[in-house]
Amino acid sequence: MTRRSRSFFCGTVAALAGAAAVGCTHPGAFFAASRSEPPPIGPPAAAVAMPQVTERVLANGLTVLVAEYHELPIMRFSLLLPGGAAYDPAGREGVAELTADLLDQGTTRRGAEELAREVEFLGGRIGADAGTDFSTVTGEFLSKDFAAGLDLFSDVVLRPAFRADELRRMRRLRLADIISSRDNPAAVADGCYARWLYGGHPYGHLPQGTEASVRRLGDADVREFYARYYVPERAVLVVIGDASTAAMLAKVEDAFGGWKRGGMPLATPSAPARVSGRRILLVDKPDATQTHIRIGNVAIARTDPSYVAANVTSTILGGGFGSRLIDELRVKRSLTYGAWSGFVARKEPGDFRVGTFTKVETTGEALRVALDVLADFAARGATAAELARARSLLTGQFPKQLETPGAIAGKLAELAGYGLPRSDLEAYPARVAATSLADVAHLAQRWVPTVDAAIVVVGPAAVIAPQLAAFGEIERTTPAGCEGPQAPSAAGP
Amino acid sequence: MGLAAIAAGGVSPAAAHAAIDVPVEKTTLANGLTVLVHEDRRLPVVSLYIFFHAGSRNERPGITGISHLFEHMMFNGGAHTEGKFDEIIEGNGGSTNGYTTRDFTVYLESFPPPALERVLWLEADRMRALAITEKNLEQERGIVKEERRLRTDDDPDGTLYEQVYLTAYNASTYRWGPIGFMADIGAITLDEAKRYFRTYYAPNNATVVLAGAVSPREGFALVEKYFGDIAAQAPPEKVVNIEPPQNGPKLVEYHKAAELPAVAIAYKAVNARHPDRPALDVLQTILGYGQSSRLHRAVVRQKELASGVGVSFNWGIDPELFWFLAQAQPGKSARAVAQAIEAEVARLREHAPDARELRKAKNLLQADYVRGLTSISGKANQLGFYEVVFGDYREMFKEMERVEAVTADDVQRVARTYLVANERTTIELVPEKPQAGALPRPALPPSAAVPQTPGVMR
Repeated sequence: MTRRSRSFFCGTVAALAGAAAVGCTHPGAFFAASRSEPPPIGPPAAAVAMPQVTERVLANGLTVLVAEYHELPIMRFSLLLPGGAAYDPAGREGVAELTADLLDQGTTRRGAEELAREVEFLGGRIGADAGTDFSTVTGEFLSKDFAAGLDLFSDVVLRPAFRADELRRMRRLRLADIISSRDNPAAVADGCYARWLYGGHPYGHLPQGTEASVRRLGDADVREFYARYYVPERAVLVVIGDASTAAMLAKVEDAFGGWKRGGMPLATPSAPARVSGRRILLVDKPDATQTHIRIGNVAIARTDPSYVAANVTSTILGGGFGSRLIDELRVKRSLTYGAWSGFVARKEPGDFRVGTFTKVETTGEALRVALDVLADFAARGATAAELARARSLLTGQFPKQLETPGAIAGKLAELAGYGLPRSDLEAYPARVAATSLADVAHLAQRWVPTVDAAIVVVGPAAVIAPQLAAFGEIERTTPAGCEGPQAPSAAGP
Repeated sequence: MGLAAIAAGGVSPAAAHAAIDVPVEKTTLANGLTVLVHEDRRLPVVSLYIFFHAGSRNERPGITGISHLFEHMMFNGGAHTEGKFDEIIEGNGGSTNGYTTRDFTVYLESFPPPALERVLWLEADRMRALAITEKNLEQERGIVKEERRLRTDDDPDGTLYEQVYLTAYNASTYRWGPIGFMADIGAITLDEAKRYFRTYYAPNNATVVLAGAVSPREGFALVEKYFGDIAAQAPPEKVVNIEPPQNGPKLVEYHKAAELPAVAIAYKAVNARHPDRPALDVLQTILGYGQSSRLHRAVVRQKELASGVGVSFNWGIDPELFWFLAQAQPGKSARAVAQAIEAEVARLREHAPDARELRKAKNLLQADYVRGLTSISGKANQLGFYEVVFGDYREMFKEMERVEAVTADDVQRVARTYLVANERTTIELVPEKPQAGALPRPALPPSAAVPQTPGVMR
């Protein structure tokens, strides 16, 4: 969309808007144009204010980032720990998540119920979660409860009790989740896709683990994971809230200064291998009325210099409602309600993936259209209008990434966790704007899966298999069959 | 900690929200369009929320789902913007979406301030003259069917959500959900769509909320400029949703392919403006909010029967359901889960909560109120909600006082009044294992959304 001259923006409205400096060269055209022609774009808005961050590294190696936020009486704590599900030992998949889940099930000072009552009495929240590269613990309290909230938050991080009955109870809940997630075709598609693409690589399982691996998890597994990865020297604690920087730093030092270093070396996963050729996995879900599709291959790491340009590229293909996938699959053909693409960038190269779903009867058509869109995009890149839309969408929505204490804390922790400079935040809009058609063409050609692609199709095999015959050789499994060491893998063992 | 320690705990919980200023100005245009503006310049962002006072409660059998289908139609744009809506919004840095509930339909955009006038022009264009064509209708019909399959037909929780409303209500048009029945989605005609647009998409049936980097003066002037000449229409027919007494519990088994049993238990409660509603919110919090809630402690933690118990109580224009949704742990039955939930409900009917538990519930609700103000779009959404459902956005600012006024006796009283066996509906999901390689059964019955978000997104 070309930006029109501001000359339509005039008369009373301009005066009301305080846009006194705006010219009024076509006063006659103003009202005549107001119905059928888009009105002008106003003067540029101020840039979003960057959080003013103070960084301290405590004697035990913990990196502390603090920023004041005075819009609301809220305190947010966000702790990033250097091990996520990618660090689950082989055969013990799910231990990072089980460890995180057990943090708030009792500490050496408080039982699980007492802890929950205290947190919730303050109207607060504490949550812990394992991602792929990292584990995170977050807490949110009203700022008047800063001290009490930090005491609870640090208790959960530093002194989890890992009591045997809590472990047994939580393991049952994790198993129930794993079993019931087989009812969710999108979750099945994501889990099977991870395994199909990455095989036995640490990125080849979801944080939840598998039924078999979680059944094996015991006290020693959890304690070992905690000892190795819940250590200050590689952790990042972000505190954002309605308090002074000095007060936040002092209280954090009090609470976390005594955290002992771990000292164990951190194993790093190797780079995963790309899938060669078109490899199709059909997952039988006989009761489904819809088929879920994933297409992807290994692509870039989070630290790749092309990360921002890659996101612009992906937005053209599958971001927002004006994307090419939405246009072809949803708007033109009503084949789906949703279609998207994205770079799942990690410490080691993650993947670029595309997802959609359609009624079982149109599985073949939807896969054909999706593959055609990918092939065309990889071969020809984008148009100037497509690039302009993606750039505007990403820069226009950027301020919302810094809107809430939770969003700010998450961004700061992510950058620190991947060893990226905080200046990346401020540089983001300019990097989006600097992404050229040539950049997009290059990245699309390089990373959009065409000839080499891991494809997962989840739905009733009896209906779908004939529709897939034209796409090549097909391997078959079931939702439960995607779990465990015998699971089919396009990547090899 | 005893009560004295709580009272001495410094700032009272109520003080945290009382200090938060959410300035709003309101006007009504000559054509009846209500306009709210909340100025907040912390970010270079403006949020626009347009509420149309029409949702699935305004529908009838045969055209269920038309409000939501219509919401989709709106993104095809108006007379001057047909097929260009998303391109113009996103090309100017905005994001856009919509959602439909039982009570209303909302269109939302969030965009950089320079795009304000252009976004208002776009919205006015589709309110004035939506492109309602056979092609657009067929396109969205197919998409909405996919949405229904995703959220309802292929999702056990979505199915239970649909079934519990269908079974609990006899008269209320709340009985079907915003997604509508598959057959109705397939049958809605172009004429129905055009009639729906004329009836409900009139300025006198809409509320515009602007929040963010926009002043009331600028917002009012621009809304007048673009919407001021859209003609008012005769007000829509009133909906009467008065449910006859049930006079006996209902128990339904619902068979569906699923890994684990689950159960939904519903009681008929009150509407958002009813004086008992805040006490029911506190009751909901005591029963189901967090790991210290009664149901989590009893049913998930101590008895290990369910993997989670959710309690849902939406604020509706009409009386809503107060209902529970729980999935059984492997090896446990839906019946055992239901009995354990019922035991906790009975305990609250018999004994009022103690002061500390009441205080905890109020603190949770008050902290949630503060969290609800962290985003500009969230504030726009809430202001519009109160204006539409309560008839006045200022009701939002009285909410925490209403919560504060709830007593332990109130909580017990509403439990005794509403959570009674004769008004109870229980749906047990009976899992069936499909045979691998078997052909799927034809599409299951109707409708849709996650219990916590009482609407369907675009």
